[in-house]
Amino acid sequence: MIELKNMSVNLGIFSAVRGVDLVIKPGDRIGVVGESGCGKSMLALSIMGMVPDALSTVGSLIVDGQELIDAPESTWTAHRARTMSMIFQEPMAALNPLRRIGDIVAEPLLVHDGLGKSAARARVIDLFTEVGIPQPELRLRQYPHELSGGQRQRVLIALALACNPRLLIADEPTTALDANVALRITDLLVELAQERNMALLFISHDLGAVSRATRDILVMYGGDIVERGTTQQVLQEPAHPYTQGLIAARPQISQTATRRKRLPTIAGSVPALINLPKGCRFSGRCPRELAKCASTRPRAVTTDQGSTVMCHLFEGGTAQ
Amino acid sequence: MGYFLFRRTVGLFLTLFAVSIVVFASMNVLPGDPAITILGIESTEDARAVLREQLGLDEPVLGQYFAWIFNALQGDFGVSYSYGVPVSELIGERIPMTLSLAFSGMALTTTLALFLGISAASYHKKPGDWGVMLLSQLGIAIPAFWLSMLLVLLFAVKLRWLPPGGFPGWDEPLSAMRSLILPTVALALVQSAVLARVTRSSALEVIRLDFVRTARASGFSKSRVLWRHVLPNALIPIVTIVGLQFAALVSGTIVIENVFYLPGLGRLIFQSISNRDLFTVQALVMMFAIIVVLANFLVDIAYVLIDPRLKGRSN
Repeated sequence: MIELKNMSVNLGIFSAVRGVDLVIKPGDRIGVVGESGCGKSMLALSIMGMVPDALSTVGSLIVDGQELIDAPESTWTAHRARTMSMIFQEPMAALNPLRRIGDIVAEPLLVHDGLGKSAARARVIDLFTEVGIPQPELRLRQYPHELSGGQRQRVLIALALACNPRLLIADEPTTALDANVALRITDLLVELAQERNMALLFISHDLGAVSRATRDILVMYGGDIVERGTTQQVLQEPAHPYTQGLIAARPQISQTATRRKRLPTIAGSVPALINLPKGCRFSGRCPRELAKCASTRPRAVTTDQGSTVMCHLFEGGTAQ
Repeated sequence: MGYFLFRRTVGLFLTLFAVSIVVFASMNVLPGDPAITILGIESTEDARAVLREQLGLDEPVLGQYFAWIFNALQGDFGVSYSYGVPVSELIGERIPMTLSLAFSGMALTTTLALFLGISAASYHKKPGDWGVMLLSQLGIAIPAFWLSMLLVLLFAVKLRWLPPGGFPGWDEPLSAMRSLILPTVALALVQSAVLARVTRSSALEVIRLDFVRTARASGFSKSRVLWRHVLPNALIPIVTIVGLQFAALVSGTIVIENVFYLPGLGRLIFQSISNRDLFTVQALVMMFAIIVVLANFLVDIAYVLIDPRLKGRSN
């Protein structure tokens, strides 16, 4: 359905996303994890054709057999909402504050599907019911500022689903919500993806949410996919030193409450785009760095457990 | 909403009351004898006394004020000294002219400004944006009266497409509209240059907000996103400026009506001041003040109609 081949998002000579290969099929549930600034959101925006003007997308991005990498805005407009749709991090700011939520969700139905007003209204009520908004008839007339964060995120999901997209990209959908609500939104996304046989690209730095929501996972660092595999495999037996660091840095209730041990962190922070190392982008922060890491970009190799890792430690076949 | 409207309406009347005191005071309490102003310093004291009595100026000031207000509320602004007819008649004849000019000027201003401002914002940092900004800078720099003369020279004198001035009245709608074109353009170009800049910067503020990204992700065309999502959210500062501009536009008619020989309130106030026609000037200044206060009242109401979030706060 959607295929990315050696796709990069460049800012001048620098890459925010570097040579990504990715195939998304109906029903896939793919998680994308990594620190802020690792290229997760840029990857998502490139699949929507919404990369900021200053950046350019190169390589190949094929949707239903059609190459879209240099496609004009009008081609993308025709695909958005119908082929792929996206929800964003801040449900507070992502809804037009001047419109009633019923009108917000009805708009794509009126514009894209050519529904009449009453048909659109009935469809909006169905969508609200589907995403778990109670008393949909009453809610239609409310404004975004009259809803809670969780309800707003449900409205955004209803909006994204209105024209039955085949891929839903959720960019940190739960980050701005409290833990309990976040859990329910995560489960809702999984249910919706399963019921509709819709692909889900779930971007998050919350590993718990990703492990709950997805079957496959991409670990991104500095624009590279440094490790990929099934979610279970990668999270249980992380191969790449970055993935290991990411998992070790997860706060756990038992740990903090009983032993008050310092949370392990990955040393340093993600370098700015212009300062990324030439070779492995994790070099400089990596605890198991080799001499060639800073200068030579590692190849992606498949481990015995079936994950694919981009790391010099694995180029002999297994971890050294 | 009901309470909000009530509060604003009470405020409106209090403002108008204050305005009437200021207008009356500036005409009557300020030093200088109106009788001398009207008759000239070489007039005899007897003639002045007769005039004062005629005009009611020998009464106590407070009494004069209330008499003025009381009569004005009934539509009686006294008799014009220089025209010899009731002031209300003078104003009534000229109101349609000035209001047509003000409203057509406002309509052209907003249409031009919204179109240019939104286009500039959508071509931010590209040639289209620079072009609009350059034009609006030019528009702001050109005085309206000079622009009027240029327009007359080009379109009336050289090309002979439009009349150079005068107004035939609305009995002949077609030629009335033709003679309104140049004054309207002269009024609107300068105002729309200012408003286009406000529209552009307000739209640029909104364009980077998250819900605009949501609208794009929903597959809406660029123009739909701009006009249906960005513009409504950019309206608050635009409406504020439109309210202020309406006041500027109404006073702008004084200059424009004189340049184009249009028989409106602007020309009347200019002539009445030259003729020292006290009651007419007083009534006209009050008239302009009422128009300005009303425009601001409407702007306040527009805020709440535009943004539902203000509704809760205003109550």
